[in-house]
Amino acid sequence: MLWFAVLMGLALFAAACGGDDDGGDSADGGDGGESASGGDTPCLVSGDEATGDPIKVGSIQSETGPDDFSSAGQGAKAFFECVNANGGIDGRPIEYLIEDDQWNPEVAGQSAAKLVNDEEVVAMVGSSSFVECGVNSPLYESEGVIAVYGTGVPRECFFSKNISATNAGPRISSFGVAEYMVSEYGAESLVCISQNIPNTGEWVCTGLETWGESVGVSVRTILHDPANPDFISIVQDAVSDSPDGIIVMEPAGLAVPILAVAEEQDLGDAAHWGGPTSLYLDGFPETIGDYWNGRFDVQIELTEIGADTPDNQAWLQTMETYGETGDPIDTFSQGGWLSAKIFTDTLLSMDGDITRDAVFDAVQGISGYPSDLNCGDWYFGPGDRHNSNHAGRVVTINDAGEYELVEDCKEYADPELADILELEASEGLGG
Amino acid sequence: MIFAVTGQDLLTFLVTGLTLGGIYSLSALGLVVVYRATGVLNFAQGAIGAVAALTLANEFLEKDRPAILGYLAAIVIALGLSLFYGLVIAPRLAHRDPVVRAMGALGFGLSILGFAGWRWTARVQKLSLPTDDVRFRIADVNVTLTRTIVVVLAVLVTVAITAFLTRTRVGLSMRALANDRELSSMIGVDVRRAETTAWLLGGAIAGVSGVLFGATKQLDAASLTFLVIPAIAAAVVGQLRSLWWTLAGGMLIGVIESELTNFRSISPYKDLTQLAVGAGVILLLQRSRSVSFEGAQR
Repeated sequence: MLWFAVLMGLALFAAACGGDDDGGDSADGGDGGESASGGDTPCLVSGDEATGDPIKVGSIQSETGPDDFSSAGQGAKAFFECVNANGGIDGRPIEYLIEDDQWNPEVAGQSAAKLVNDEEVVAMVGSSSFVECGVNSPLYESEGVIAVYGTGVPRECFFSKNISATNAGPRISSFGVAEYMVSEYGAESLVCISQNIPNTGEWVCTGLETWGESVGVSVRTILHDPANPDFISIVQDAVSDSPDGIIVMEPAGLAVPILAVAEEQDLGDAAHWGGPTSLYLDGFPETIGDYWNGRFDVQIELTEIGADTPDNQAWLQTMETYGETGDPIDTFSQGGWLSAKIFTDTLLSMDGDITRDAVFDAVQGISGYPSDLNCGDWYFGPGDRHNSNHAGRVVTINDAGEYELVEDCKEYADPELADILELEASEGLGG
Repeated sequence: MIFAVTGQDLLTFLVTGLTLGGIYSLSALGLVVVYRATGVLNFAQGAIGAVAALTLANEFLEKDRPAILGYLAAIVIALGLSLFYGLVIAPRLAHRDPVVRAMGALGFGLSILGFAGWRWTARVQKLSLPTDDVRFRIADVNVTLTRTIVVVLAVLVTVAITAFLTRTRVGLSMRALANDRELSSMIGVDVRRAETTAWLLGGAIAGVSGVLFGATKQLDAASLTFLVIPAIAAAVVGQLRSLWWTLAGGMLIGVIESELTNFRSISPYKDLTQLAVGAGVILLLQRSRSVSFEGAQR
């Protein structure tokens, strides 16, 4: 067995040697606070590190499971780290409590109960989950908790009274790429690939089907179990009717193997390929490879990652200074950061005690919050449901393997938005 | 819609189904090899393979270290983890119920999954092997050499381990343990040696399959870890004993799943194939024998 022990030791040694560059990040990440003290910061406040009575804020992320979907939480966390390092809310730090729902509804329920009932958070900020909204919306309503969501995914995140997301959601994102394929390529037939998660994949793709019927575009839906490894069948099925466009409505972790199989089958030119915001992140074009250069369009729910605008630059600066190594630089990080900024701005504007009820009233009272990350102003408002972000942009992966803006801010035609648009008009919400 | 399916469609999805079945079969063979000799349903197998694949991708290929060392490290780590569980943890549970032993392996697997999450921050990545670029055109499907290796390896593992079990002394010991553990130890079978061999074989299969699955499926610790679930259905077809039936079970599940893609009205439910096949075999066997955590019983 000696030979084995030696080999094992060598392998573990080699493995251990490789990770020192990213393994030692501090969870509090507040090293930038000292240098930023008193100067300009990217997070609304400036001053010495906050040491007062913490303000508890909760967040639920789908981190472990079929894919890591916690980017929004990292963006919000970095913002709050910045706030805490630079004076907090009148000297009080934000204690940001993040729970992982593991893509499991039961765990999501337990996580919310812990945060809302045990920790007594004043609000939920920057959450990002595939399962949480539907499970916890009743709890938030009964306990008077308001949620400024980072990344809403399933339908319930946009059909709940106490939840409003900074992102547009996958359904509107799918409309963005579908409408682009129709206007740019004259597509008359589309395939929508998504997951068979309740109120997510079907909600998204059937929305396209309904819209397609009204504009003369045939849309076929392919739903699959996210845990099933049969990606070849999914792709073969998608191209079987020779569609003009294929929309891969997946998180990046699942889109990569689907696109790898499409490349393996050399189907890049069999249709126009595109996807939602989840496929807009730093490094994605390199990961899927040169084969997709000039062959893949992506709708983005917030602004471009490299946009030279004030809020976007502040987000990048926050992630650089207060984020952790390996934090994704993507739309959802932007969304989480923006939710934290809106929330912090709201707290700073409040008079009196920061209680759950007071925070609820203050956030609900936001009727228009401008940010260059959004195409329009974000709002919460009095509606029974919320979807203030319903416009976006389209980028393509160009021949150099970089994202390139091909369509600027555009309002999308999801018929499900009728009540939202009506409320905006009657209440003067949004920008 | 059902009658619109052509022979070409059936052939296309037969090919894709066999490549999928190769994944299920190879995973299931690892389970059966370990189970026969040790009585442990090794739920940690997928996690061990995941660590092997992630080590190769993150610690070697991404850092431009020699790939050959990466492959070696992947196998050595898989062997080490498998042996660690088999020789250190499993003996402490040897006299507990089979369910407890299986849960012990599951706990070990989840611990490995936790380690992988801590060590390699989950992010989008792809494991590309040189064999991905070699492709064959079969029935309108491009089949990469990597996928071919998975299928061929499943068959080779079945042949090789069957020969090992029937023609070597250690193999005889492993077969004796599979038949009756108590009696085998009483008559002097070297239980320790047989179990060590089984854990080594299981570790090697886990390591190789982890790398291959990471390249053909999704390089993600959780999804590779839970690939053990469809593998169990294939192992049930082999009654947790027969390597050939296990191979056939995996292939059968893969082909049925893939072929169901042709039938759009029921295609969304094709993932139930694993459950249907596993449950169907158990119900069928109830007529004359039973399959449980303790294996097939007459």
